[in-house]
Amino acid sequence: MGPQETGALEPTVMVAGLHVGFEGREVLHGLNAEFYRGHVAVILGRSGSGKTTFLRALNRLNECFPGSATRGSVKLKLQSEWWEIYGNAAPLTELRRRVGMLFQTPHLLPGSIADNLALPGKLVLGWPRREIAPRVETALREAHLWEEVKDRLDASAHTLSGGQQQRLCLARLLALEPEILLVDEPTASLDFRASLKVEELLLSLKDRYTIIAVSHSLSQARRLADAALIFREGAVVQHLERADLQAPETLQTLLEEIF
Amino acid sequence: MIKGITYLAQAWSWLAVAITWGAVFLLLAFLGVRGLDTLNLALLFGKTPAWQAITGALPVWHGIWPACAGTVALVLLSSLLAIPVGLASGIYLAQYAGGPWKKWFSLAVELLAGIPSIVMGLFGFALILFLRKTLAPQANTCLLLSAVCLALLVLPYLILLTQTALEAIPADLKVVGLSLGFTPWQNLVQVLLPLAARGILSGVILAVGRAAEDTAVIMLTGVVANAGMPAGILDKYEALPFNIFYLAAEARSEAELAQGFGAALILLILTGALFLGAYYLQSTLSTAWDRKKLAL
Repeated sequence: MGPQETGALEPTVMVAGLHVGFEGREVLHGLNAEFYRGHVAVILGRSGSGKTTFLRALNRLNECFPGSATRGSVKLKLQSEWWEIYGNAAPLTELRRRVGMLFQTPHLLPGSIADNLALPGKLVLGWPRREIAPRVETALREAHLWEEVKDRLDASAHTLSGGQQQRLCLARLLALEPEILLVDEPTASLDFRASLKVEELLLSLKDRYTIIAVSHSLSQARRLADAALIFREGAVVQHLERADLQAPETLQTLLEEIF
Repeated sequence: MIKGITYLAQAWSWLAVAITWGAVFLLLAFLGVRGLDTLNLALLFGKTPAWQAITGALPVWHGIWPACAGTVALVLLSSLLAIPVGLASGIYLAQYAGGPWKKWFSLAVELLAGIPSIVMGLFGFALILFLRKTLAPQANTCLLLSAVCLALLVLPYLILLTQTALEAIPADLKVVGLSLGFTPWQNLVQVLLPLAARGILSGVILAVGRAAEDTAVIMLTGVVANAGMPAGILDKYEALPFNIFYLAAEARSEAELAQGFGAALILLILTGALFLGAYYLQSTLSTAWDRKKLAL
């Protein structure tokens, strides 16, 4: 992600010397990276190379797992203000709202389709009662889900297909007005068609957000990525631009490198 | 050789199931044959008119209604004491405890689970003796004391089932609320507890059943053969399990012995109804989602 490619883009995420470990075992070893608003960055690497741990370092979710220890600097630009998230006590709930995360499998909250959006809206943003319905609709429209579910908002969210559930989770994130989206292998549990829909959706959102996605599919990375980072054993071993990803010769080395 | 062992194991499994069913059937049949004839209003209320007996306007002689009321009061009171403490402890163990604290607290819960109920009864009795010599010379065995001891007895069920239900939630699902910006408290109340509701409810069912049937604890802490309707939590009371024990041990006639079997049948019906009620609650809660699925 050299400056010649990103041009006038200003970074919104700056990671420097990031170490993360669990119960004494270090997973990330002094990682450096930058990410930009309006760009989709895809992180590729073998399982166990620290991709998910890296994403969770950006919304401080690692701290919810036993024995985690984090060192280094992670700076996020939220509402044109720089937050040093491991520094002077940034409010954790506010940070996690603005840095939304989509998990590998859709994790639904208990209750109906509407509940899944209304509950976080009420708890986190304090939506007043009469605004709930229109806001739920807006979020569902943004996730291209409104037409499919508008007649059954009160049905259990578990009645949706896997792809719809994942888009519901995305709608839930968007409803909370985030600025950075962390996306952890969002199509791992979906079939090809459903995966394409989620990818389309991410691309349609990319102008307004900084999107950082983990993937283990090279073809997905080629469809989505403006830039790619190759992880190996807790460090970034290679930066690739969009053009590099499309070139057949890099592809060959990548395949050998990663898989 | 291996085939032979498989057949043997299969036969043993079938036999084990047959023994369980056989035991349940024999028990019910025995109770039915001996007790069914005595099931009538006289068993419950003696010669007192039913309505006056139920409201407590007239005392009941030779009827087990006061014992039914005593058992219900006892179960309610001990549940009221045990459920909040049990749930909170289970939540603490599953969510907040770590390292040596968790180890020591779990050990304490296991020890509590291993205490025989007669020992718990003795504890209650000794507690009253202690109170009489020190703080409260007027203290006596009573409904409240029994309920406290019973609550201690059923506490481990509540703690362990709450803990297990919460710990069974997948790790990612546990943090999804937090990742949306919920506070830990909001995550617990809005996400984790609803997901664990089924397991927690079975803990409550077990605890209530245990509190309803225990005799050893209450024998030493306040139950008596003849107290009438329970008057207050600091008074003596009657209870069905003790009533059955008393009638069986000290029956002076065939009719009284038969009344004991009738009381046993009533206790069985009471706890059975309790279980059915809880089961119904559990299944309506869990199928509320499925039913909507079918309606689509």
